[in-house]
Amino acid sequence: MLDSVIAAGSVRCGTRDALPGFAVLNDSGEHVGFDSDFCRVIAAAVLGDANAVEMIDLETADRFTALQSGAIDVLVRNTTWTATRDGSEGANFLQPTFYDGQGMMVASDSGYSKISAMDGAIICVAKGTTTEGNAALESSRLGLNWEIRSFDETDLILEAFLAGQCDGWSSDVSQLTGLRSAYPNGSDALTILPEVFSKEPLAPAVLDGDTAWAQAVNWAILATIQAEEFGITSANVDSIRDTTTDVGILRFLGAEVPGSDGAAVLDPNLSLPTDFAYQVVKQVGNYGEIFARHLTPLGLDRGLNSLWNDGGILYAPPYR
Amino acid sequence: MSPQLSTPRKVPFFRDIRTLKWALQILALLAVFAMFYWLYGNYQENVAKSSIQTDLRFLDNPANFTIPGNDLDQSQPVRDAFVEGFLNTLRVAFIGIALATILGTLIGIARLSKNFMVRTLGTVYVELVRNLPLLLLLTFMNLAVVLQAFPRIENAWLPLDLFVVSNRGIAIPWFIGSPAQLGIGILSAALLAFVVAKIRIRQADKTGKQDRAWLVGIATFVFLVVLIWLLFGYGWELPYVDGRGTTGGLRLDPSFFALVASLVIYTSSHIAEIVRGSILAVSRGQGEAADAIALSGSQKMRLIILPQAFRIAMPALGNQYLNLIKNSSLGATISYFELTQIAQITVGNGSPAVPAFSLTLLVYLGISLVTSLVVNFFNRRLALVER
Repeated sequence: MLDSVIAAGSVRCGTRDALPGFAVLNDSGEHVGFDSDFCRVIAAAVLGDANAVEMIDLETADRFTALQSGAIDVLVRNTTWTATRDGSEGANFLQPTFYDGQGMMVASDSGYSKISAMDGAIICVAKGTTTEGNAALESSRLGLNWEIRSFDETDLILEAFLAGQCDGWSSDVSQLTGLRSAYPNGSDALTILPEVFSKEPLAPAVLDGDTAWAQAVNWAILATIQAEEFGITSANVDSIRDTTTDVGILRFLGAEVPGSDGAAVLDPNLSLPTDFAYQVVKQVGNYGEIFARHLTPLGLDRGLNSLWNDGGILYAPPYR
Repeated sequence: MSPQLSTPRKVPFFRDIRTLKWALQILALLAVFAMFYWLYGNYQENVAKSSIQTDLRFLDNPANFTIPGNDLDQSQPVRDAFVEGFLNTLRVAFIGIALATILGTLIGIARLSKNFMVRTLGTVYVELVRNLPLLLLLTFMNLAVVLQAFPRIENAWLPLDLFVVSNRGIAIPWFIGSPAQLGIGILSAALLAFVVAKIRIRQADKTGKQDRAWLVGIATFVFLVVLIWLLFGYGWELPYVDGRGTTGGLRLDPSFFALVASLVIYTSSHIAEIVRGSILAVSRGQGEAADAIALSGSQKMRLIILPQAFRIAMPALGNQYLNLIKNSSLGATISYFELTQIAQITVGNGSPAVPAFSLTLLVYLGISLVTSLVVNFFNRRLALVER
C-alpha cells in the first residue's frame, strides 16, 4: 500500500463532508476539520505534501466496505475502535486521534435533564455505528424502552429532530457538540446531557495485513503528539530546528545530529522520509494546534485529549 | 455435353453459420464464467489477506440494535433481526400490493370514463406520478409530508377521537388479544362468508335473479366478525396521546406510512395504465353484447369487461407486484427497518458485507420467485384454454 500511495502521489483518505469541526466542506469546496487535517498529516508524512490528499466522502454504513475493497488507503472518519471491527471488518486501528464518549442531546425546552428521565423516548442515531448498540444497551440497562431509529446521514437526523420526530439525538459528545454549534435554531436550543455512557476512541484505520503502511500512518499521527510535547509548532519549527541543541528534537525533526564520528540523521526504518515529522508540523501543525483550530471553537475541552503530562492520555512512544 | 448441375458447394464448418452461432454463444458463456471466476478469486484473495469471515457464522452474533415497534432485544442474534426485517418487507409488500391494485384499477377505469373531469384527473395523476423517480417521491413523502405536514405529537390530530395522527406515526384502534386469536376469528368468518356468497351465486345462476351475492358475502363477514368478537368478549382499544408518544391501539411507524404511501402511489400509476390497456383490449363486441342484454354500466364493467381485462392484465400486473416488492428496499433510505436496512445496519456493526448482502439478495430472490409462481398459477387459471 505504501508503495502504491507513493506511486500514485496522493493518499486516498476516507472521510465525510457534513460534520462540523471534524470534516465539512468550506465555501471553495475543500474539506476542513480535525479529521481532514489528520488526512493531511498522513500525506505530509508519506509524500512530503499535505495537499496530496484525495478526500473520499463515505456514508457511515459503507466505510468498512470502502476500506476492505481498497477504494481508500486510510479511514479517518470518526470511527470508534472496537474489538469486532478490528477482528471482523478487516480493519487495523492505529493511534486514536480523539478519545470520545457517547452522550445524548435534547431540545432545551423538552424538560429532560438526565438520561434516566427519558422513559419511552424516541432516540435518533446514525445507521451502522456503535451508537446504535450503545443506545440499545443503555436503554435495556436503565429499563427505558427507547425506540431507536437509525438514519443514513446526520442531515436526515437533523430533519427528523427539527420536525419533532425524535426526543433525543445520541452520538459521540464531540459530534453532538459540532452538530449543536451548527443547529439552524441556534445552539442554545439544544442541550447536551451530562452523562456519557460509552468509551469511544476515534482512531484512523487501515486494511489488515499491511504492516509497513500501518506503521507509516501510525507514526504520522504520533508525530503530532510528540511535537506538542516538545513544544514545536508550525510557527517555530524552522527556528527550533536551526537553533536547538536538544538531541531528541534534532532526531525527531530529521536534522543532523552531531556525533563522535560526524553528523548523522536518524532513520528508524519506518519507510518514511527522515524529515516526515518536520513536514507534518511545518505543513499542518502539532496536535494542540489542530485541536485548537477546529474543536476549541465548538466549545470542546481538551479533557482526556490532553498530553499525558497535562492530565490527559495522549502519549507518544519515544522517537529514537 | 449435358449441362452440369451446380451442386451447392459444401461450406467448411468454420464458415457454417450454425457452427458460428454456437461457437459465439459458448465463447460468451465462457467469458461470463471467466469474469465471475476472476471476481470470486479476487474476493477470496482479499478476504484471506484481511481475515474477513466468509460464512454465515455472523448470524449467531448478538444483533446489538433494536427495531422500532418490535420487542427484539439487542442481545438476540442477528438471525432474529433478519427475520424481523423479512417480515417487515412482507408487510409492506402485502399491504402495498393490495392497495396499489385497488387504486390502480379505479384510476385505470377513470381514465376511460365518459366524464371529462374524471378522465382528466386520471390522466393527470398517471402522467404526473409515472414520470417521477420513486426515490424522489419517497424522500418527498418522508421529509415534506410526514415530517413537515403531519402535526407534532404535542398537537396531534385526533380524527373522531379514534386515531392519533402525528409525525411520530399513525395510531389506529386495534383488537386486544393475540394475533393468533385475531387470525382464527377473521379466517373462520371469511370462510363462512365465502360459503354464503358461493351459495347465493349458485342460486343466482339457477334463477337468473341478480341478488348481490358479494355484498351479502361482505355483510356476512362483518356480521360474523362482530359476532365472534361479542361472543368471546374481545375488545378494541383506542389509542391516546401519552406524554410524547401514544398508548393503546396499533401504531403504524411514520416511515412505514411514507414507504407504503409512496409505493402505492407510484405502482398504482403503472397499474392504471395496464388496466386501461387491458380494458381497451377486450373485444368491443363483448361490451356491445352486454349493452344488448341491458346490463347496467357497473354490471357491464364488473361482470363482462373486468374479468376479461384481468385475464389480459395478469402477466403485466405480476411484473408490477415484483417491482413493488423490490422497490420496498428503498425503505432503508427513510429508516424503515426492512430487510435492506437490517443488512446495512448489521454490516456497519461488524457483520461481513459479502455474506450478509448475499443472504439478503437470496431472500429477495426467493420472495420474487414465490410471487412469480403465484402470479403464474393465477395466470394459468385465468387464461383461456385453447384447443
